[in-house]
Amino acid sequence: MTGRPTKRPVRPAAGQRAVPVPGKTMIRLEGTAARTMRLGHGRLLAVALMFGIGFCVLAGRLVELTVVRGGDGAVANLVPGTIAARPERADIVDRHGLLLATNLSTASLYADAREVLDANRAARRLAKVLPELSLAATAEKLRSDKAFVWLKRNLTPALQDRIHRLGIPGLYFREEQRRLYPHGALAAHVLGFTDVDGNGIAGVEKFFDEELLRRGHAGAPLQLSLDIRVQHALRDELGAAMAKFSAVGAAGLVMNANTGEVLGLASLPDFDPNHPGASPVTSRFNRTSLGVYELGSVFKVFTLAMALDSGTTNLSGSYDASKPIRVSRFTIRDDHPKKRRLSVPEILIYSSNIGAAKMALDVGGKTQRAYLGRFGMLRRPALELPEVGAPLSPSPWRDINTMTVAFGHGLAVSPVQLTSGFAAAVNGGLLLPATLIRHQPGQRGLGVRVIGERTSGQLRRLLRAVVEKGTGGKAEAPGYLVGGKTGTAEKAGVRGYRRRALISSFVAAFPINAPAYVVYVMIDEPKGIKETYGFAAAGWNAAPAAGQVIQRIAPILGVRPVHLGGPAKRQAMAVPGQGGERKVAAN
Amino acid sequence: MAIGGPIGRRVDLTLTQKLLEINWLLVLVIMLIAAVGFAMLYSAANGQIDPWASRQMIRFAAGLALMLGIAVIDIRSWLRHAYLIYAAALLLLVAVELLGVVGMGARRWVDLGLFQLQPSEVMKIALVLALARYYHGLPLEEVERKRWLIVPLVMIAAPVALVMRQPDLGTAILLLATATAMLLLAGVRLWKFGVALGAIILAIPLAWRFLLHGYQKDRVLTYLDPERDPLGAGYHIMQSKIALGSGGLFGKGFMQGTQSHLSFLPERQTDFIFTMLAEEFGLIGCLGLLSLYVFVIAYGYAIAARARNHFGRLLATGVITTFFLYVFINMAMVMGLIPVVGVPLPLVSYGGTSMMSLLIGFGLVLSVYVHRDVTIPRRPNFPG
Repeated sequence: MTGRPTKRPVRPAAGQRAVPVPGKTMIRLEGTAARTMRLGHGRLLAVALMFGIGFCVLAGRLVELTVVRGGDGAVANLVPGTIAARPERADIVDRHGLLLATNLSTASLYADAREVLDANRAARRLAKVLPELSLAATAEKLRSDKAFVWLKRNLTPALQDRIHRLGIPGLYFREEQRRLYPHGALAAHVLGFTDVDGNGIAGVEKFFDEELLRRGHAGAPLQLSLDIRVQHALRDELGAAMAKFSAVGAAGLVMNANTGEVLGLASLPDFDPNHPGASPVTSRFNRTSLGVYELGSVFKVFTLAMALDSGTTNLSGSYDASKPIRVSRFTIRDDHPKKRRLSVPEILIYSSNIGAAKMALDVGGKTQRAYLGRFGMLRRPALELPEVGAPLSPSPWRDINTMTVAFGHGLAVSPVQLTSGFAAAVNGGLLLPATLIRHQPGQRGLGVRVIGERTSGQLRRLLRAVVEKGTGGKAEAPGYLVGGKTGTAEKAGVRGYRRRALISSFVAAFPINAPAYVVYVMIDEPKGIKETYGFAAAGWNAAPAAGQVIQRIAPILGVRPVHLGGPAKRQAMAVPGQGGERKVAAN
Repeated sequence: MAIGGPIGRRVDLTLTQKLLEINWLLVLVIMLIAAVGFAMLYSAANGQIDPWASRQMIRFAAGLALMLGIAVIDIRSWLRHAYLIYAAALLLLVAVELLGVVGMGARRWVDLGLFQLQPSEVMKIALVLALARYYHGLPLEEVERKRWLIVPLVMIAAPVALVMRQPDLGTAILLLATATAMLLLAGVRLWKFGVALGAIILAIPLAWRFLLHGYQKDRVLTYLDPERDPLGAGYHIMQSKIALGSGGLFGKGFMQGTQSHLSFLPERQTDFIFTMLAEEFGLIGCLGLLSLYVFVIAYGYAIAARARNHFGRLLATGVITTFFLYVFINMAMVMGLIPVVGVPLPLVSYGGTSMMSLLIGFGLVLSVYVHRDVTIPRRPNFPG
């Protein structure tokens, strides 16, 4: 509506085209009727003009959304890959120099169709050697009169020889570099893969696409922080757990607690980067870095960290968890209700949602957000992969959000974020950005202080207690002093949370008295089995899987087992309660 | 009844003549648009004709027959019964208010035993008819006077208020906007629209402070920035934009859309069906459908401009305006230009009632065309 007042009378000119029926009758209609007619047509034109503008806005927005902003995939499809031979890509190696990705020289067959004499015959003979080629399509290509048509890429030397012997004029070979991943699917989600023209299109291959070409010239491989032995143990255990609990997926991460270097990163299901097209698209989804999830109770570690660090409570504090909290249409209840007042350590050990929610309310939403921000929960982590997801945080952040975030609901983060944050909670309070590139020996990461060293020491003891007597018992790896926290979250569905679709995870550090490595295991939709009495909570599946991983990688990583009952254990154990803090000054 | 002497050629025609007079090109384009809908519903059900495409086809066939039936009915009888239809629709709306069926969190339906009726849909046609009749009988000098504005304003306000209470913001906006366009076309002076607009602008901060609930404010804020709550209220629009973007220029191909087929988009067969089209047929497909709509609207306006009687002109413009608003509001909503309001994509979205009322509306437009040379005296029984 354009509400501009206009002066009467109506402009007479407007009527010229609009008066529909010229003739004698119209003369009689002069005056009111004609004026109505003219006015009507003028207004009709104005409304039509508005509609026209409306349609232009719609069309403009369509172009913006489909082509300008989002359509890079489609646009890229229109531009065929350049055929010019590309320089060789650098190899990718793990932290000990083991080969993860390299190149293989192969021959690719193309034709100069102008030189082909009998296209049908040539196609038939070629099909005898390459039965996978469609006869019709090949003949069509050979008839096309083009100077260059690809027929088959990356032939084996034997096939090249046989085609050569056919002696068909117009067929030629071009030497090409084929990217090869000797470990197959093992580190698929880290490495990613290249397309047939050697362009990185996923994972490290894409992130470091230019870097790999630059290094290719210099002949220097790209060294990752990955340890392929750790990667193997991690993927192996994840696969076993996924099969055992009939889960739809699993994710895992092993990180150096003091540098942020990633030693192992796996996401299942995965794919063979040598033949990425052979696996379903869903297997190319990286749950560990791209997926963001509401991870549940593992977040209580952060809640305790901020409560202890800001001083709103201490280890001798307690909260009433005798009955569920009702806030408007939400009810916060405990999975293992104790129906009594719980001490601060007990809140973590028994994973009390009520206690954590009340604790977070004491801390306050603003402080909570500040701490979570420092823990790296509210921004996209800087991991060197194109597939890195941004967290989803509630907005506005009300008291109910403060309470649910306290036990890991309403805020979705990626496993990479969670693991980095956890490392900061236990390593003395420094957040180090997660990285896939190996640090030079002696290089210190630039840590940002998140919490005080004293708080971190308290958390370590509490986390040990969780494994010792709480929900994380099955994560115990004898001799390696595991400390960690379980988290079981319901997945969000179309209508609210789905009770039977869980994200079970366990995050742990070992040895907990002086954390060297952090391990994270997540199982996507595990089912209860007989052995777990039908339970599907993290303590029954993710925790034992994490324990298994630790048991296998600790010797590889040179972590020495400690004598149980020895001083190290007592030190780590001097937990909760009153006066406990003084004893652990050595931490 | 008083009918003016025949002036033009086509005044009193036989049924066969009328059928031949129907604008079959417009009918064809309407069928084309509906066919796009069938294809998308087929795709939305992952290549199944059931449950959506089949039912939609049956409804369309029934609606088409109804449309052609209405097209040949003498336009003067619509004029005569306009107020009666309006009164009936209003009565139904009141009935819904009192004893309607609650579905999907809103009270919009009235159960008639055989089928359920959505009176707000009936009202879309009835209001257009009633306003067209009112202004048909009102000379321009009177139109410009304030006191003759009271009756139409009441005629508009009553159904809008009832529909708002259901609550059905989308239909309320449609009714209000259509009525506004009709008042504009009827010749109400422009400064009055200016005053109304000014009043609305002034009322916004007051409504924000005192009238809107927290969740309603949330929705508006989420519209302004969908990323602020991607798991909650912003979910639909985010997913919709992702799907639109992923279609690109030519789309992913029929039944190849991932956002919609992997169920990232709930309700993809109804209000958000345009997203599917965008994902599967890209910009080209969307512009194609948009052109079909533009054709129908332009053609409708041509019919309105050609009509020799004021009633027909107002009637056609009213129906076409409603149709335009459907298209505009739905597309703008899906593309994140305006907040989410429940308005279907006309003739394409799954759903029987709105399709039926639209086809009835088109029947009236066709009737205006068939009877374009009929002249109707301006004040058959107008007082003063």
